[in-house]
Amino acid sequence: MSRLALIGLDCADPDLLRDLLPQLPTLSALVEEGSFGRLRSVDPPITIPAWMSMMTGVDPGKFGVYGFRNRADYSYTGLRIATSAAFRAETVWDVLGRHGLRSILLGIPGTYPPKPVRGLLVSGFLAPGTDSAYTYPAALRDEISRVVGEYILDVRGFRTDDKPWLIEELRRMTERRFALARHLVMHHDWDFFGMVEIGTDRIHHGLWSHYDKAHRKYDPTSPFHDAIPAYYRLIDSEIARLLDAMPADTRVLIVSDHGAQRMEGGIGINEWLIQEGYLTLRDYPDKPTRMGELIEAGLVDWSRTVAWGEGGYYGRVFLNVAGREPEGIVPPGDYDRVRAELAAAIAAIPDEDEKPIGTRVLRPEELYSEVNGIPPDLFVYFGDLRWRSIGTIGWNRIHFHENDTGPDDANHAPYGILISRPGDTKTGRSLLEIKGMILEHFGLKEEE
Amino acid sequence: MTDKRTLEISEDLVQAIEDHLSELSAGSVSEYVEALLRTALTEAGYLAPYSAEEEAEVERRLRDLGYID
Repeated sequence: MSRLALIGLDCADPDLLRDLLPQLPTLSALVEEGSFGRLRSVDPPITIPAWMSMMTGVDPGKFGVYGFRNRADYSYTGLRIATSAAFRAETVWDVLGRHGLRSILLGIPGTYPPKPVRGLLVSGFLAPGTDSAYTYPAALRDEISRVVGEYILDVRGFRTDDKPWLIEELRRMTERRFALARHLVMHHDWDFFGMVEIGTDRIHHGLWSHYDKAHRKYDPTSPFHDAIPAYYRLIDSEIARLLDAMPADTRVLIVSDHGAQRMEGGIGINEWLIQEGYLTLRDYPDKPTRMGELIEAGLVDWSRTVAWGEGGYYGRVFLNVAGREPEGIVPPGDYDRVRAELAAAIAAIPDEDEKPIGTRVLRPEELYSEVNGIPPDLFVYFGDLRWRSIGTIGWNRIHFHENDTGPDDANHAPYGILISRPGDTKTGRSLLEIKGMILEHFGLKEEE
Repeated sequence: MTDKRTLEISEDLVQAIEDHLSELSAGSVSEYVEALLRTALTEAGYLAPYSAEEEAEVERRLRDLGYID
């Protein structure tokens, strides 16, 4: 039985990749010898939880993981970062390990702290640093240092206008990750190899406006028009070298957790809630301030607050429900009516020229068959994710064309990529099917 | 990384781990037991995955990355 290599490119978008394929000989050859299609992400299409949904076949509702931070309880401040402990389901490598097959796992988001695995595991970018216990086995950390020197989990401070610095940092990070990948597949036993390169996501967010001529910030004189294509050419050459280090009959899957699209701007969710009377502050801040800081400072008048929001690539809205939240005011009997009224009003928020932006507002129970943990009461995809959610308060406005935390050109899109060699006979795959595809390659089935 | 203390563990457990060190991908019994306990205690909520400083740093990075604000 041949081995299987899954190479993840975080945020790789099918339309972008199709445009770039003529410049990418390795990926083009894989497509020619195999297949290339879109891969439906989960809701929300965000790195956490998407990669771990792919590796387990379990959707975010069942995990109770709806983003990087989730409510641990119904207090106003109980947001906790989702770590590997939150993903309580059997991963594809758990199943393979039970059948005596070994895995090498590199950089997969949602794997910190590392759990024991039959093989090797290098955590993803949520590890606090390379001085932490970010590998399994622990001794692998020293081997990594010997092979690549300082291993780079992620680009620090990618929200910068210093694009030459960002481009160089991305190159350094990616070259080291692929150098480590080559070392691991050449010097350790494995049946399944799975890695995720996070740099594709970072370059999209950092430089999309320099590539996309339709982007409102596109500058025809920018010296960085080739930054994204050049980075993909680097990825392509690194994949070529990695595949050369593997047996020729290795089954290859190139996947992404979600796609990318230009960001049109941001909607100040909490500013809007204040304007419409759903959220009341005791004192409006004189400078942009995070909602969490206002809550901790006691500046939210919960006795006059129906709902509050969180920012990010998608918006999250929480209702202040009597008997649920500590100072809730929405009677449980009015919950459905208030939520429906709020959803309709948010969906109707126009752009600054009063034009509709096509916002989708979703309830958790319509997204998932099972809803665990504490989901937001409403998921908000402003402009169908062409606009992000701005949670900070103190701007005295609702519409933004810059992020509240620094330059950002792109937002997420619901379809990622799936390249398969040999070709995949099915089209229209969801990332929830990838675990099953891998197990099927090894003659195994998903268990109920 | 924290300081270490010596504990006692039943011989049959040590033997079972030693017999399968390669399959368990561990360099030693101690390394495997520590990883196993760390996972179990974290999942049970008795061990925080991050120190307070680490959690603040990871949150700051997530904010910089645009995932949260």
